[in-house]
Amino acid sequence: MLFFSYFKDLVGREVTVELKNDLAIRGTLHSVDQYLNIKLENTRVVDQDKYPHMLSVRNCFIRGSVVRYVQLPPDGVDIELLHDATRREARGS
Amino acid sequence: MVVGLRHFTDRDGGGAGEPVLDAGSGEELMHVQPGVSIALANRPPESPGTLYISTKQVMWLSDVDRAKGYAVDFLSLSLHAISRDPEAYSSPCIYTQIETEADEDESEGSDAEGDQIFDLTKITEMRLIPTDPSQLDTLFQIFCECAELNPEPIEEEDGEEHNWVFNADQIENQDAEGEDSEWNFSHNPTNTIGHSNGNHDLAQSVLELQINDQRFEDAEEMEHESHRSNDERSPSA
Repeated sequence: MLFFSYFKDLVGREVTVELKNDLAIRGTLHSVDQYLNIKLENTRVVDQDKYPHMLSVRNCFIRGSVVRYVQLPPDGVDIELLHDATRREARGS
Repeated sequence: MVVGLRHFTDRDGGGAGEPVLDAGSGEELMHVQPGVSIALANRPPESPGTLYISTKQVMWLSDVDRAKGYAVDFLSLSLHAISRDPEAYSSPCIYTQIETEADEDESEGSDAEGDQIFDLTKITEMRLIPTDPSQLDTLFQIFCECAELNPEPIEEEDGEEHNWVFNADQIENQDAEGEDSEWNFSHNPTNTIGHSNGNHDLAQSVLELQINDQRFEDAEEMEHESHRSNDERSPSA
């Protein structure tokens, strides 16, 4: 559940979600659930020439299992917090 | 599991012709939306029908042709969204992307072959166009709720791929079953997240995160040190 908690902290931030079908969508992280399903708002498609039909979409729900990468805002990565959390996760506590 | 879109004609005998659900597996009807057109890929919308949303799948049944209907499992719905921009599509609709067996082969054109035969399993886009656009937000919300009811099935087989680990208990269980798993964890840290999808996915990604952290720490230290003169640097710093 580490990454679930981590992504919850990023709600409200700008992220780019890259899907396994190469579609990359940038938007404000609205919410995330335990399966890492992701809801984005104010979305825009990074490669608009390739996916013109997605232009009209302002919010979307992305199934967690089709996500390849999530690009994070650099200042949204709290090293200390992650360090601590990963250690606790590894200990299984 | 059937991947992608499929024909669906399993209606009960009643006048309305509601879809027959798999009650045995707990499938329940969540929402019925009359007056919905469906557009598959770049094909023109098909005559108004009724949209049925169950806990497992989305079904569209034609109002005029009992033999016509489509269904897709929530497991195959990669993405759904509300589309309102008339520039992109003439009518406000629910836009969905469908995961297919061969995703890379995105043949858009059924145009060349004519309308009579097209392969549903290759359809990667589906639009649902309600005659009442004010229903879009409700439909979007129901899609979200039902998607969350359908997480990826956890495969029990002892294969090397797609054994997702969801919590620490599972790691412990797998450690108990698997042989030499602790050895793998402590001596095999070079696997990358993308490369290894094995039983110890989580453990390895945690390890990789820690490696990355140390890298960042070094960079940070160097930054701090650059403010001082190099002469003052001591080994204990």
